[in-house]
Amino acid sequence: MTWIDFLNLLINGLIEGLVVALPALVMTLVMGVNRFPNAATGDMMTTGAYAAVAVQLLGGWPLWAAALGSMVVTAMVSAGSYQLIFRKLAGRPMVASMLAAIGLGFLLRSLISFFAGHDQRTFDLPLVRAWNFGGIRVLPTDLAIAAVAAVSLMVVFVLIYRTSFGRQLRAVSDSADLARASGIRAGGLMLSLWLLVGALSSLGGVLLGMKAVVSPEMGWESLIPAFAAMVLGGIGSPVGAVLGALLLCVAQELAVPLMGPSYKLVLSFVVLALVLLVRPAGIMGRVQLVR
Amino acid sequence: MIAYLCAIGIVALIYCLLALGLNLQFGLTRLVNFGVVAFFAVGAYTSGLLALQGVPLVLCFVAAGVLAGVLALPIGLLSLRLRDDYLAIVTLGFSEAVRISIQQESWLTKGVQGLPGLPKLFASWGSGVSDMAIFATLLALVALVAWGTVRLAASPFGRLLKAIGDDEAALSALGKDPAWFKVQVFMLGAVLAGADGGVLRPLHHLHHARAVHPAHHLLCVDGAGDGGLGHGAWRGVWFAAADGVSGGLTLCQRLGAGRV
Repeated sequence: MTWIDFLNLLINGLIEGLVVALPALVMTLVMGVNRFPNAATGDMMTTGAYAAVAVQLLGGWPLWAAALGSMVVTAMVSAGSYQLIFRKLAGRPMVASMLAAIGLGFLLRSLISFFAGHDQRTFDLPLVRAWNFGGIRVLPTDLAIAAVAAVSLMVVFVLIYRTSFGRQLRAVSDSADLARASGIRAGGLMLSLWLLVGALSSLGGVLLGMKAVVSPEMGWESLIPAFAAMVLGGIGSPVGAVLGALLLCVAQELAVPLMGPSYKLVLSFVVLALVLLVRPAGIMGRVQLVR
Repeated sequence: MIAYLCAIGIVALIYCLLALGLNLQFGLTRLVNFGVVAFFAVGAYTSGLLALQGVPLVLCFVAAGVLAGVLALPIGLLSLRLRDDYLAIVTLGFSEAVRISIQQESWLTKGVQGLPGLPKLFASWGSGVSDMAIFATLLALVALVAWGTVRLAASPFGRLLKAIGDDEAALSALGKDPAWFKVQVFMLGAVLAGADGGVLRPLHHLHHARAVHPAHHLLCVDGAGDGGLGHGAWRGVWFAAADGVSGGLTLCQRLGAGRV
C-alpha cells in the first residue's frame, strides 16, 4: 500500500466517520438521558432516507429541501415513538425498552419494505467527476456530505453546551432526581430531545444514502458501527461519540485492503467487545455506567 | 391441509426449543442474550455441512450442539464483566457478525443461496408420513426439554440460577461465586440453540443465511421475556409454546409470500 492509497482510505474513513457520528451521537444522548441502547436509531435513519426519497420523487423537490422535509417527518415519528412507547417503559428494566426499540425498528423496516419494496434506490444527484490531486481522489459530493455532517454536529454541540435546553439535558443525564428536585420539567425536555434525535437520525440516513444507496436494511447495518463508536467514545459523552466514530471508521477503511469491505461490520463488533473488556469507560466516559 | 398444519407445527416447535433455551438464560438467570440466533445459525450450518458429507443425522445434531456450546464460552466469559445493557449490545453485535461471516464465506456455506440438497429425516417413509414423523419427534423432544428445564429450575442448580437473577450481591455474600454458573447457563442455552439449529436443517428451504436474521428470532426473545420474568418455570414453558406457534405462523406466512 503506497502512501497515496493510505491517504485515500484515510479521507474516506474520515468522511464515513462524520456520517456515522450522527447516529452514534443520537445513541449516546438517548443512553445518557433515557438509559437504554436505542436500537431503533438505524431504522430511524432508513425512515429518514426513504422519506427524503419519497419527497424528491413525488414532490420533485431539490435534495436539500427533501432532506429538510424528511427531518421534520422523522422528528415527528421519533417524538411519537417516545410518547407512545418509551415514555411508558421508563420505570421498567432496561431490557424492556431495548426490546421495544428493536421491535420498533423491525416495524419501521417492514413498513418501508412493504410500501417501497426491496429494491435499492438512489437520490437524484448531479453526476460529478472526482477531483484528482496527484492520485488523491476526492468526490465533491463526499465533501458536501462531510461539510453538512460537520455543521450539523456543531449545531448539536452548541445546543448541548450553550443553551438552556442543553444544560437541562445534561442535568437530567447526570442525575434525574437532582434535576427534578431543582425544577426541571422532564416532559417537554424529553419531547424536544426525541425531536432532535429524530431529525439527526434522518440527516444521518440521507447522508448515508447519498454516499451509497438507499435500501431497507441500510440503517440496521449501520447500527453496530454506531454502537461501537458510542462505546469506543465512552457512553454518554457526545464528544466521545464523534471521536469514536471517526477513529472506528478510519480503522475500518484502513482494514479494507486486508480483509475486504464485507468484514467492516465484524471489525466493528471486535472493537466493541475489546473496548468493553479492556477499557469499558471508552475514550472519555464514566466507568460506573458499564459494570 | 394436514401437510400445511404439519409444516407450521414443525417451525413452531423449533421456535419453542429456542425459546426454552432462552428461558433458562433470561427468564431464570436474567442474562440478556440477543445472540441466540448466532448459535442457532452455527448449529444449522454445522449439522447441514456434516450431513452433506454423509455423517449420520443424530451425530450431526450432537455436533451442532457441541460446537455452538464451545462458541458460547467466550461470550459467556464476556458476560461476567458487563452490565446487562452492555451484554445486550455485545450479543446483538455478535449475532450480526456471525451472520455476515456466514454470508461471506461462500466457499463453505454457499453464501446467501443456502445449502441445497440436504438429506431429510425419515425420507424413506414418503413425504407426507415423514413430515408427521418429524413433527412427532420434535414434539417429544420439546416435551422432554420442557420437562428438563422445569426439573432443572427446581433443582439446587436451578435455585442458584434464580438467585443470580434475583440478587447477585446477596448470593456472593452467601459464599457462592455466580461467575461460573453464568458461563454454564450461557453455554447450556447455546447448546440447546445449536442443536435446535441442527434440527432446522431438514427444512432445507429454510436453510440459508436470511433465515437466521436476528429479527425473526426476536419474536422468541419476546416470548421468553414475557414468560420468564414471572419466574415460574412452567409459565415460561407455556409462554415459549405460545410464542413458538405465533413465530411459526409468521414465518410460514413469509414463506408463503416467498420471502424469508
